[in-house]
Amino acid sequence: MKRVIHWWTEERRAYLLLALPAVAVYWAVMAFPTVFSFILSLTNYNGGPVFNNPNIQFVGFTHYLRMFRDQYFWISLKNNTLIILISVFGQIPLGFLFAYVIHRKLVKFTGFFQTIIYLPCVISTIIVGRLWRSFFSPYGPFTEFMQKFQPGWENELFFDPKLAIVPVLFVILWMYTGTYMIIFLANLQKIDPALIEAARIDGATEWQVLTRIMLPSLSGVIVTASILAISGSLKSFDLLFAMTAGNPARRTSVLALYMYDTAFKHSPKYPLANAISVFMVMLSLLLIVLVKLTEAKFGGRE
Amino acid sequence: MMKQVKIRKSDFHPVLKVFVYLVAIVFTVLTLYPLLWLVISSLKTNTEFQLNLLGLPQNPTLSNYPTAWRLAQFDTLFLNSLFFTTASTLLVIALSLMAGFAFAKLRSKATPFLHGSFIMGILLTLQSIMVPLFLMSVATGLYDTRLGVLIPYVGMGLPIGVYLCTEFIKSIPDSVVESARIDGASYFRIFASIVAPMATPVAVTLAILNVSGVWNEFMLINILVSRDALRTLPVGIHKFSGALASDHGRQFAALTIGLVPMVVFYLFFRKQLTKGVSAGAIKG
Repeated sequence: MKRVIHWWTEERRAYLLLALPAVAVYWAVMAFPTVFSFILSLTNYNGGPVFNNPNIQFVGFTHYLRMFRDQYFWISLKNNTLIILISVFGQIPLGFLFAYVIHRKLVKFTGFFQTIIYLPCVISTIIVGRLWRSFFSPYGPFTEFMQKFQPGWENELFFDPKLAIVPVLFVILWMYTGTYMIIFLANLQKIDPALIEAARIDGATEWQVLTRIMLPSLSGVIVTASILAISGSLKSFDLLFAMTAGNPARRTSVLALYMYDTAFKHSPKYPLANAISVFMVMLSLLLIVLVKLTEAKFGGRE
Repeated sequence: MMKQVKIRKSDFHPVLKVFVYLVAIVFTVLTLYPLLWLVISSLKTNTEFQLNLLGLPQNPTLSNYPTAWRLAQFDTLFLNSLFFTTASTLLVIALSLMAGFAFAKLRSKATPFLHGSFIMGILLTLQSIMVPLFLMSVATGLYDTRLGVLIPYVGMGLPIGVYLCTEFIKSIPDSVVESARIDGASYFRIFASIVAPMATPVAVTLAILNVSGVWNEFMLINILVSRDALRTLPVGIHKFSGALASDHGRQFAALTIGLVPMVVFYLFFRKQLTKGVSAGAIKG
């Protein structure tokens, strides 16, 4: 009895009551479904009750093999790779450039540029996708401009399977550069201005300030930004859904869209869809580990 | 504010300066021009739009707006978006602060595990839970209900919420809690009257992050809801512009209506929003 009283202190009761609501909701809608997704990907479930269904059997990694044999999987993976590349080598350097220029006040109207460059990130992706779809369509401004330079130019951007991804990549670059600018800007502001001032008094050039002080102290942030860019790129769905819906002939599909189509279009193939999402999580983790290893190898410091 | 070091003119090459301006101006034009084109086009009738794709309207008309508003049922869309955004934001803040207080100030052996599970959640993506959530909501009868959307929205906001709140409440000195304990206050009292008010800054950050996230959320609600009455702005606008793809004037009017709230929100809360983004980006 004494022990029970000792265990059930006010502190423990408070802990339980305070932490429980968040833990319960989070485990129910995030943690459990993650595990559930993996289990489902190993079964032959195809509709009907999910729980206590005697017809559900484990079929091993069949769906994963099916996924690897599907050409649309490879098309989607290729497009995701392109999006990752444009994010890591486009958004991050551009975002850094803007952050640096704004922080060091190398241009005028810094507040204005900052507001405008971040603006696309706050608009609903669906609206952005619809707007750019119209912009690049045969009746949009892009066609008109091209025809000014090249009379008779035919806009086949959204019909040509090879070209269709280009406008999407462009919009992705345009849309998310602002996020990285904000992240770099916040961290540049943390660097002690006295350090830079001292360097300048000692005769360091702007270039030296950039490469010897700013970039080294931002290496940790660059790693974080790369991780964000990679996991964000693998998630991309809304924009493509609104802009191309994966067309023409699913040539602009990405993994998330491929999974959505597999799960919710035509006859539902839930296990296959879950195999795709498990693959996406694994790929994301693998790439994050690779980024971390690269960081360790090149001796990045926080 | 910090003092900026003046840059000597010789230091920064004029060619570089021109280049920097050029890139910044290109980005500005790429943002402002499409938005401008959208608004201008929404003031044209379909006939005029087809004859005059880029120019200013000869006879600007607002007639597309009421029609678009009615056809896309914007009343319903706005009310639903407001409901989901407000309810999920309040719940995320309340639950995150409570859990954050427990993790930061109360002793328990469970903390590393429980707190760690939230940190893992920051890395989780919606895709990895989408199909299970759909199946679960059908199995529990929560499909096509408000609650069935609200609970996942709260759950998705919690990882970053719990992380930020725990970090913030850790920075409150232990002595604050201890002296209140000596004065005989219960833990709930300490939470409600001392810790929660002190945590207002992190609550604001969290609110801004969650509002912009949920207001624009599309994929989840698109899967968990099929009734018109539960649609939010992104879903409604998507359905509307898909159905009326060739009705340009009304489509552009609908997009403009959808655009306004977030842009206004951004212009008002620019500082807090960007602060929230950089705070939320400490992932990985």
